[in-house]
Amino acid sequence: MRLLRAQCVVRMSVTRTTVALHSKYGEASTGGYTQSPGGFGSPAASQGGDKKGRSRAQQIVPCTVSQLMSAVQAEDVFKVGEVEIAQVTIVGVIRNTDKSTINIQYKVDDMTAAPMDVKQWIDTEDMGVDNSVIPPGSYVKVSGNLRSFQNNRSLVAFSVRVLEDMNEVTSHMLEVVNAHMQQSKPQSMMGGGAGTNMMPTAHASMSSTGSYSGASMMLVNGLSANQNQVLSLIKSCHEPQGISMQDLKQKLSSMSVTVIRQIVDFLSNEGHIFSTIDEDHFRSTDNEA
Amino acid sequence: MTGVYESPKPRINASMLAQYIGRPVSFVGRLEKVHPSGKALTLSDGEGKSASVELNDPLDEELSGIVEVIGMVSNKGTIMAVSYTQYREDKISFDLELYNEGLKVLHDFPQHYPFEVSLSG
Repeated sequence: MRLLRAQCVVRMSVTRTTVALHSKYGEASTGGYTQSPGGFGSPAASQGGDKKGRSRAQQIVPCTVSQLMSAVQAEDVFKVGEVEIAQVTIVGVIRNTDKSTINIQYKVDDMTAAPMDVKQWIDTEDMGVDNSVIPPGSYVKVSGNLRSFQNNRSLVAFSVRVLEDMNEVTSHMLEVVNAHMQQSKPQSMMGGGAGTNMMPTAHASMSSTGSYSGASMMLVNGLSANQNQVLSLIKSCHEPQGISMQDLKQKLSSMSVTVIRQIVDFLSNEGHIFSTIDEDHFRSTDNEA
Repeated sequence: MTGVYESPKPRINASMLAQYIGRPVSFVGRLEKVHPSGKALTLSDGEGKSASVELNDPLDEELSGIVEVIGMVSNKGTIMAVSYTQYREDKISFDLELYNEGLKVLHDFPQHYPFEVSLSG
């Protein structure tokens, strides 16, 4: 009898833990907070949240030095376009080193701008940390916080790691583009859900500060916003010979000819459109009434 | 030519050389040939196309495999290199074709990977 009761207690606590775990990690959450895996969501930890200003940008964002140098600073918050940044990673080659008793200073060049100042404090007591200076010519991944002091931007690094796999250069390039594209959407999107609000591509200002939010990664019908826009225009033309490249260029003033051509090629390959009298006239394969 | 170090150096492949004449660039490629003088190299990019590189000073070491050079593109489309970095492949080999694809992504999305600093606020 006592044994049975003990077993029930154990089973209940296991179930309780499992339920708690599920709601914490948002699997079948009915009201718990969802936290996207991989630590990319802002930690909505406790009820009411920590209101101390720093609670928002807790993601570590892959960046380029140029983005860090161009970031707009409002009080103690940095922004690259719409992306708020605090902890960042960069990948570059060390051009310069300078060691003192309390810190190591590097200049890291990732080809996007002049080499960036990176400061790494030496923890003299922590014997687990390797405080030897990494030589110039080495490729490293730096993780740290962006700082601005007297108009000078620098990174205070908590990690400077030599790359053993140079393919990390390539992956960082892609991660930067991905992170900044994803985060150019409204902050309320978590976990990358597709298609909640379709970003209008009309105001695609190609400014270099990265505030362009047109070419988002959101797919509707399996097509991006730009692709959908071109397809709609083609569909809307009821002429037998279809719409011409000229018309498309005129109506899509925000897209370059190259981009339009790429999209048209893609749509054609996917079977959404076909060319008619020549390579510059297109019709949709869907028969719209 | 110390100006090259301090400038943005767009990552390009051989097909893009013509568009970057007179500008600083960074080029990653496989070492194909070293001129006997040690002052000129031929690198091939991820698409198999070649680029000629001229060095200020002759090479004083054995180079092989993947090399990254930075420098200005001359009128003839050669890269006047101010420095080079060997990409280590002692543990894992470098996928040059994949790097080439990544490079194209950078050029497709300059707004998310700017090779320039915009001075704001």
